[in-house]
Amino acid sequence: MKLQKWHIPITIVLFISGVLLATALRALAANNATPWHQKNENLVAMIKTQEAEIKKLENSIESKRTSLDRFQRDVSLGKKELEKLQQQLQKLKTLSGMTEVKGPGLTITLDDNIKEYEAAQNKNPGLKPDDYLIHDKHILYIVNELRVGGAEAISVNDQRIVNSSDIRCVGPLILVNTTRLGPPYVIKAIGNPDSLARVLALPESEYNILKMAGYPVKYEKSTRLVIPPFKGSYQFTYARPKEE
Amino acid sequence: MWLPLLGLLLGIAIGSALYIPIPGAFAKYLSVAVLASLDSVFGGLKSILEDNFDGTILLTGFFTNALLAALLAYLGDRLGVDLYLAAVFAFGVRLFQNLAIIRREFLAGWLKKRYLAAAREDKNGQC
Repeated sequence: MKLQKWHIPITIVLFISGVLLATALRALAANNATPWHQKNENLVAMIKTQEAEIKKLENSIESKRTSLDRFQRDVSLGKKELEKLQQQLQKLKTLSGMTEVKGPGLTITLDDNIKEYEAAQNKNPGLKPDDYLIHDKHILYIVNELRVGGAEAISVNDQRIVNSSDIRCVGPLILVNTTRLGPPYVIKAIGNPDSLARVLALPESEYNILKMAGYPVKYEKSTRLVIPPFKGSYQFTYARPKEE
Repeated sequence: MWLPLLGLLLGIAIGSALYIPIPGAFAKYLSVAVLASLDSVFGGLKSILEDNFDGTILLTGFFTNALLAALLAYLGDRLGVDLYLAAVFAFGVRLFQNLAIIRREFLAGWLKKRYLAAAREDKNGQC
């Protein structure tokens, strides 16, 4: 077969065309460069991103749940602890007179001896009324005696007697917890009514002395007394618990 | 006669075997270049059949067409105009025109052959 003049150029052209064609086809197949495929790829990439995100979020949920569990456990532990502390606090409050208390006990009513005073003044004008009044020390002694009788809570005219309470005289009135009180004085004490009454009935008790002196004093036992809480506050500026 | 076909097959084989990585964005330009080269091939075939074949014209046309088509497509992309569509259109039209001409030339050749054969038989019968 004779080689014609067109054989060589057309062969070259066809050869290069073949190379180009194969490369283009392969490039298209490899890259999936059609918009449709690109879209698909985009969607796949999006899905993958979302899946990664989901995975991350799931992990974070897991860790959050774990920490939540821990916190809940801590809280329940803390709750128990707190409950204990609160119970203790409540007990201490009750002991220190910061709460209203109720229970059996007795009520003592003291009043100035006005009747005797008037009678005495009729006989002897110019008599000082001091001997016929209820003084701070009477109340102080009676409170003290009630404590001897095992009183657990004491109030004078609804002023709770606590360990920092003061009972003192300001002219015609009496200060209890730095609150002015006037007659009649009602002293309430919660405790065993019988033992409280026994202390009051002792011959040398202040109550008895007042009674002998003719003051209008009386007491009555009660099964249900309510004593209000101490309204002030404790402030320890100097006293500190001794370190072990 | 079979040499050009052998060339095409060899080209495809080499193109397939040699993996030339083309970025996705450039695949389009390569496709335009392929179209240009096919246009040149068919133009060459047409010129052979029309007996006005020129190897230099074919080769220069082939390279410039392919390169220019790819470059124009690229420029069009830069400018935001789908210029490669123009290349596709131009080459596509020419491709089909050339194919039509080739078909007609073949048909004409075949008809001529048949006519000549018939004439020869007539002559034989006369003898």
